[in-house]
Amino acid sequence: MHILVEVQHLTKIYGNFRVVDDVSFFVRTGEIVGLLGPSGAGKTTTLHMMLGLISPSAGSVRIFGKRFEENRAEILEKVSFTAPYVQFPIRLTVFENLMVFARLYNIREPSSKILELLRMFEIEDLKGKPVSRLSSGENTRVGLCKALLNDPKLLLMDEPTAYLDPQLSIQVKKILLNMQQSCGMTILYTSHNMAEVEEMCSRIIFLNRGRVLATGTPIEVTQLILKENRSEPALREVFLHVARRQSNEAA
Amino acid sequence: MKLHRIAAVILRHTCEARHNLNRITEMVYWPVQNIVVWGFFTVYLARDNHLRPGAISFLLGAAILWGMFYAFQRDLATGFLEELWSRNLVNLFSTPLSILEYLTGLIIVNLLKAMIGMLAAALTAWVCYAYDFFPKFVEFIPFMLNLALFALAIGVIIIGLIIRYTTRIQTLAWSFAGLLMPFSCVFYPLSSLPRYLHPLAWALPTTHSFEGMRQAIAGGGFSMLHFGWGITLDAVYFMFAIPIFHKMFESARSRGLLVKLE
Repeated sequence: MHILVEVQHLTKIYGNFRVVDDVSFFVRTGEIVGLLGPSGAGKTTTLHMMLGLISPSAGSVRIFGKRFEENRAEILEKVSFTAPYVQFPIRLTVFENLMVFARLYNIREPSSKILELLRMFEIEDLKGKPVSRLSSGENTRVGLCKALLNDPKLLLMDEPTAYLDPQLSIQVKKILLNMQQSCGMTILYTSHNMAEVEEMCSRIIFLNRGRVLATGTPIEVTQLILKENRSEPALREVFLHVARRQSNEAA
Repeated sequence: MKLHRIAAVILRHTCEARHNLNRITEMVYWPVQNIVVWGFFTVYLARDNHLRPGAISFLLGAAILWGMFYAFQRDLATGFLEELWSRNLVNLFSTPLSILEYLTGLIIVNLLKAMIGMLAAALTAWVCYAYDFFPKFVEFIPFMLNLALFALAIGVIIIGLIIRYTTRIQTLAWSFAGLLMPFSCVFYPLSSLPRYLHPLAWALPTTHSFEGMRQAIAGGGFSMLHFGWGITLDAVYFMFAIPIFHKMFESARSRGLLVKLE
């Protein structure tokens, strides 16, 4: 499989604080990769730098083999991002909001594409509702519809299932896995739900304090960080181990 | 620059204007209310023969043009603030949309809104006070252009400052034009200002637009001098506005403010 995303020596410094510190990784076409780590590990900042929302202090991002800074618009045509903390203009209806993004991506037959996605996430009845009247779970699903409007080759997601109940979470996972299998979509996402990550991701990039602590399959990352021979991945244990070590060091 | 992306921004703000009563109020209510107040004032002055010939036209014409200038500058900045209040910036700028395309869409929508407001104000002046703004409209166009360009330059700087210093300074969106008003000679000629304020007033394109408008109403014809000064000053303000905006935007990107703005 060929490399779709290549992040090299990515660094972000605010004052004296290195939020992201010399992070390098790659993502192959069609992979689902989890970007994990405790709060403040630099996951979200890394995603934001990959989207050009934050300029890096050092390092580079290449997507589809092209440097991001010089090819921003061309790259973002085929990339999408969603996160529950990102919201839509609340007075606009769901349909109007999605139509704005459909036009931004120059989607052909935008209305039918929007309806198809609303149906897929079972929120077709919300199309005429202003966003202000949506629950957080509904809002998350509208965000996912927006993220899939342009049939992205690369989907970046920051805790996409954080505000979803278990049933909806399963539904969303199913849809994403389906799309990954049918369209070869590549997904890079952050989550604090370790069971979900073990289920979804073929590979993990584990960050701590802005640095890459380990990369590999869930089982490899488990073994690398816990320094034990395990037969099953135990990312929840890994997560707690790293978080505990971090708080001990801080104390 | 891609047209479809500019059209998307126009759609976003047109929908906002349709659903948001505040935007409709700002677009029509304030310009009309302004004309009603100035209209009654001119009626009162005319009754006691306190008015110079043409003064009603000066006052109402100035109120209409100032309304257009103020609305355009304010709505540009509040249009951008809408994105911050709705935490939509990350959504927008994680698409291929560039800041230039975004600003172009915002300018088109808000220029249109300012024109609708101006039309409402002009119709009010015509219906209520028999002041017909339209015969002079063609003569006013160059001065309106200068006002719009100056509003745009200020609006761009204010948006840049909001991006960099966040909503802490959002009040600039509504108040900045008011700061310029006393020195812009909107309702009185430049000669009314104290001499030491003349250089400041002369440096504002607004002053030249209103001086030019008064000359046209008084039958003095089109003032090339005031138009020339206005357009030159606009160019100078743009020479400052664009790098300031660029610097503020890049600084906000570097400080991670684009994703934290609200």
